[in-house]
Amino acid sequence: MSDKDTLTLSDITGQAEVLTSETIKDSVKSEKLKLIISQFGTKLKSTVLAGIGVLIFIGFWSLLSSYTKDALPGPLATFTVLKEMLSDPFYDYGPNDKGIGLQLFNSIKTVLSGFLLGSLIAIPIGILMGASTICKQIFYPIVQLLKPVSPLAWFPIGLVVFKDTGMATIFIVFITSLWSTLINTSFGVASIPQDHKNVAKAFGFSKMRYLTKILIPYSLPHIITGLRLSISVAWLVIVAGEMLSGGAGIGFFVWDSWNALSLEKVISAIIIIGIVGLLFDKLFTFIESKVAYKA
Amino acid sequence: MSYLEIKNLEISFPTPKGKYIAVRDINLSIQKGEIISIIGHSGCGKSTIMNAIGGMLTPTGGSVELASEKIKGPGPDRGIVFQNYSLLPWLTVEENIFQAVDSVMNISKKEKHEIVIQNLKMVNLFEHKDKLPGQLSGGMKQRVAIARAFAINPGVLLLDEPFGALDALTKGSMQLEVLKLWNLNNREKTIVMITHDIEEALFLSDRIVVLNNGPASTIREIVEVNLPRPRNKIEIVKMPEYIALRDRLLHLLTDKFSIEDMGMVYKS
Repeated sequence: MSDKDTLTLSDITGQAEVLTSETIKDSVKSEKLKLIISQFGTKLKSTVLAGIGVLIFIGFWSLLSSYTKDALPGPLATFTVLKEMLSDPFYDYGPNDKGIGLQLFNSIKTVLSGFLLGSLIAIPIGILMGASTICKQIFYPIVQLLKPVSPLAWFPIGLVVFKDTGMATIFIVFITSLWSTLINTSFGVASIPQDHKNVAKAFGFSKMRYLTKILIPYSLPHIITGLRLSISVAWLVIVAGEMLSGGAGIGFFVWDSWNALSLEKVISAIIIIGIVGLLFDKLFTFIESKVAYKA
Repeated sequence: MSYLEIKNLEISFPTPKGKYIAVRDINLSIQKGEIISIIGHSGCGKSTIMNAIGGMLTPTGGSVELASEKIKGPGPDRGIVFQNYSLLPWLTVEENIFQAVDSVMNISKKEKHEIVIQNLKMVNLFEHKDKLPGQLSGGMKQRVAIARAFAINPGVLLLDEPFGALDALTKGSMQLEVLKLWNLNNREKTIVMITHDIEEALFLSDRIVVLNNGPASTIREIVEVNLPRPRNKIEIVKMPEYIALRDRLLHLLTDKFSIEDMGMVYKS
């Protein structure tokens, strides 16, 4: 170690004198810059890694495609069709020939209607189940019994009741949307800490104040998680539902393309379904982060 | 008739194995403006007595009366500071206090806000009024909890191990904070505090209630603290009265825990 490497006391004090406000500002700036660069670095790294994952997937896809002697369309053929589909997504040539955008719009409309109705029922019942043991004892057995049933099994019931395939599809989405929201809401409400209840008790909170200032804020993150799970399952179910109901929607599009033996369209639709599902999930994850609080 | 009167209080809980008596035969008369500490080992029923005064628990025997009226539930005449602050984490400091004031008091909204601001200033937290509890240190959280209890202007303040979770330095300044608020209110507020810190009890209280170990604990002794106020922490520890009282309390609280009692045998 040379003499220069060893810091003496006079060196330190000397440096301290040189540290004018200007140099401090500079060092703060460079610290910030370093932070931004390191954040960018992490982002870049994860993007590159995700890209590698996609490449591996496309590789396997190509292999499988050449193995089936192009009975399964390869990535290139699929992307050509996908591009074509996306170039004019909103064309409408009659009931059996609509653009992918219109089909998607139809499916999202159905999912949101069913999901909204389901949530409107599930959240209040979930709150009741979480807040009162009696309500839980009334509803929980029904929930346990009906939750494992595939939502598609409800389709005939919907048809009989509403005499309309569109309504029946909304009905199965509605049923699907109930369970996760119901269970998460009731769990959230039931897990309100005694501390918070004591505050309400000690300061004589009215029922309304308890509901708006303690119960809902505390259980909101749980409720949103329930909604996120519900909409994921609803989006899963809509494809199968529309295959049954026919007429319109992304599920119908998949089935129709299969009947027309256009597997490129089927795979393109799968990609689009995946992306929309991902966006739903991201949206609710974002809302979750907004309503989260630090204890 | 004293201000706060506990008569033959018994509190028991039903358990699968039968009735569990937490405390019994508790008799205590507290004057208006007195500071009382309840001290004892963990699980001796300190919090149970506190909850009975707070109205969070209904006595299974005897009664608690405040200003000659039997306590039947929680009320605005008693302000509670909980051991773990119990602030609502999604509300700002200001909102935490406002919700309590708004719930309890029958005055205009403007007056309510004024009370909140005044109490925040009293505990020096006005600049932090828009912060969430998660952004505050333990001492600051406890100050919010104390401001909340004071804001509803109760006759009795119940402090359940208020400084148990704080470090020694913060604890010291919080004790002064409580005395400051008590003085600001012309020493008219009655304070009942749970603690297991002998020095804290001696510094703050007029009387110290020592409980026996549970279950079915009773009052072991009530120690009068006749030290002059205002008390100076550094000065009082040198007073012979203080030393005698501390020894007395140490004796009351630790005599059961000699080595023989714990069944230890030393072999050479």
